[in-house]
Amino acid sequence: MSDRIIFEDVSKFYGEVLGVNRISLSIPPGITTLVGPNGSGKTTLMNLMTGLVRPSSGHVSVLGFTPADATEFFGNVGYCTQFDSFPRGLTGWQFIYDSLMLHGISEIDAFGLTRESLERVQLGDAAGRSIAGYSKGMRQKIRLAQAIAHHPRVLVLDEPLNGLDPMARAESLALFEELGRQGMHLVISSHILDEVDRISDRVVLITGGYLVAEGNIHQVRQEVRDKPMQVLVRCDHPELLAAKMFSMNHCVEARLHADGRGVFLRTGDIDQFYSLLNGIAVEGLIKIETVAPADDDANAIYQYLIGSNGSAS
Amino acid sequence: MSVYKHNYRAYTGRVTPLWTRVLVLARYGLAEVWSSKISIGLFTLSLMPFLIFLVGIYLVNNPIARFLITKGNSPGFAINAAFFLKVLEIQSWFALVLASWIAPRLITFDLADNALPILLSHPISRFGYVLGKFIAIFAALSLVTWIPSLMLFAYQGYSSPQPWALSNLPIAAGLLAGAVIWIVFLSILGLALSSWVKWRVVATGIIFAAVFVPAGVGGIVSAILRSKWGLLLNMPVLMTELWCRLLGAPDPMRPGQAIPTAAIAAMLVAACFICIGMLNKRIRAREVVRG
Repeated sequence: MSDRIIFEDVSKFYGEVLGVNRISLSIPPGITTLVGPNGSGKTTLMNLMTGLVRPSSGHVSVLGFTPADATEFFGNVGYCTQFDSFPRGLTGWQFIYDSLMLHGISEIDAFGLTRESLERVQLGDAAGRSIAGYSKGMRQKIRLAQAIAHHPRVLVLDEPLNGLDPMARAESLALFEELGRQGMHLVISSHILDEVDRISDRVVLITGGYLVAEGNIHQVRQEVRDKPMQVLVRCDHPELLAAKMFSMNHCVEARLHADGRGVFLRTGDIDQFYSLLNGIAVEGLIKIETVAPADDDANAIYQYLIGSNGSAS
Repeated sequence: MSVYKHNYRAYTGRVTPLWTRVLVLARYGLAEVWSSKISIGLFTLSLMPFLIFLVGIYLVNNPIARFLITKGNSPGFAINAAFFLKVLEIQSWFALVLASWIAPRLITFDLADNALPILLSHPISRFGYVLGKFIAIFAALSLVTWIPSLMLFAYQGYSSPQPWALSNLPIAAGLLAGAVIWIVFLSILGLALSSWVKWRVVATGIIFAAVFVPAGVGGIVSAILRSKWGLLLNMPVLMTELWCRLLGAPDPMRPGQAIPTAAIAAMLVAACFICIGMLNKRIRAREVVRG
């Protein structure tokens, strides 16, 4: 059995409207973030991997299953939609329990799994209340509980952090991180890139229905060669360091850190930059404390590759 | 990095057959139907005629009661195919009212709440979803049509002083077939029309309109063309003719105006296919279409 989500030359058209075009992907276990502007095709991609829509051409398989193998496919996939919508009149408990029954899980197992998932999202106390009376954050949590209740191996989360307060957001991210560490596939679409970025193993950038880039965030950043990389160097003489770098390296920009104890340097040749930095450190004139890339996160990659107007650059 | 090298455990317990999952949706549907006080009120109202028919059967078969109430006069009717045709006609109108109230609750709410993606991300197909809803509405309409009709038939068989039931079994078969055909049609029509309208009240109105507007158009066509075939659009007339033939009751149509049974069947099948096409077009899990 495959352990990957595989898209082979997949296109999806809604009549004459393009959803996604010729997407080929192989997503391994771990946390993958889908990044793209509104209308870029993220939700179509998620609908394809959750079996909600069929591709117009190409082939999608999740862990070796296709939606034609309904019980196995849907048993392995959990989907948390972005919409705040539920079948009417249900309590939190009924929503999860009936969902498990729809997955074909026996009543006794469904009972235990319902309790487990509600406790996992800390909604055990509110389980008997109608979902209509839940706060926005609670409704987001109950959707998440429904998505994980049947122990899927692939969890697809469409904007899972929307509506959550900072504490609930941190708890959700910790849960995602834990599930990813345990070997689950998590595919997350989120506009809150700063927070998702911390837990993501890889990104998939998509715009206008086309795949722009995919892979490990640092690798993707290094492939964006036309955008000089930015590095934050914490040291005791940032001005001196900037001057040295400008004289020896292809530095194109230097900006002092607000606290005066570091400098952001932008360079067109990162390998030479690190080599020179080693030399400067060995000289001993400048005491270097930390060196960290400042723009190899999902947010920066999004800006570089897609831009604020949503079109690929 | 394989899943199996980690400690995450997928569910590996027993899985129920696919058809039982359809019943979960049917249960959802029935719960939704009975959660409304208006549904319960309509249901109660639709059972009132049965009490009257029950009293009628009692009076016909019980000379003492007849003497006390009607002073020994004849009640003015006999328990025969015509009697049960009246039962079926009246109950079928109640079934139409109930269907127009219930069907939108089953589908329109899901569409308005955007609940389809959640439901269809389970191992249940679009067909399974519609089947679950269909079972719910069919079960609800059965409670006011063929089930009490057959109970009346059974009561007549029990209370008749002469052996009655065996010699009148075709009436029971006709009651069952006639009611089932009507409520299957109503269920599919109600679900199909509800799937296209997100406002429940509008959906209720459209279901009524779908029955009566074509009937009016058919009447105009018949009058202008001086042809009986306009009646093919008049579902109440078509069903009355069909019920008469199924129960063996006298045909109310003038000679030469009767529509052939095959034409009635073809019309019903065509209407059902159109409704299924509408459902197929509308019941989708798609959430976002890029513009």
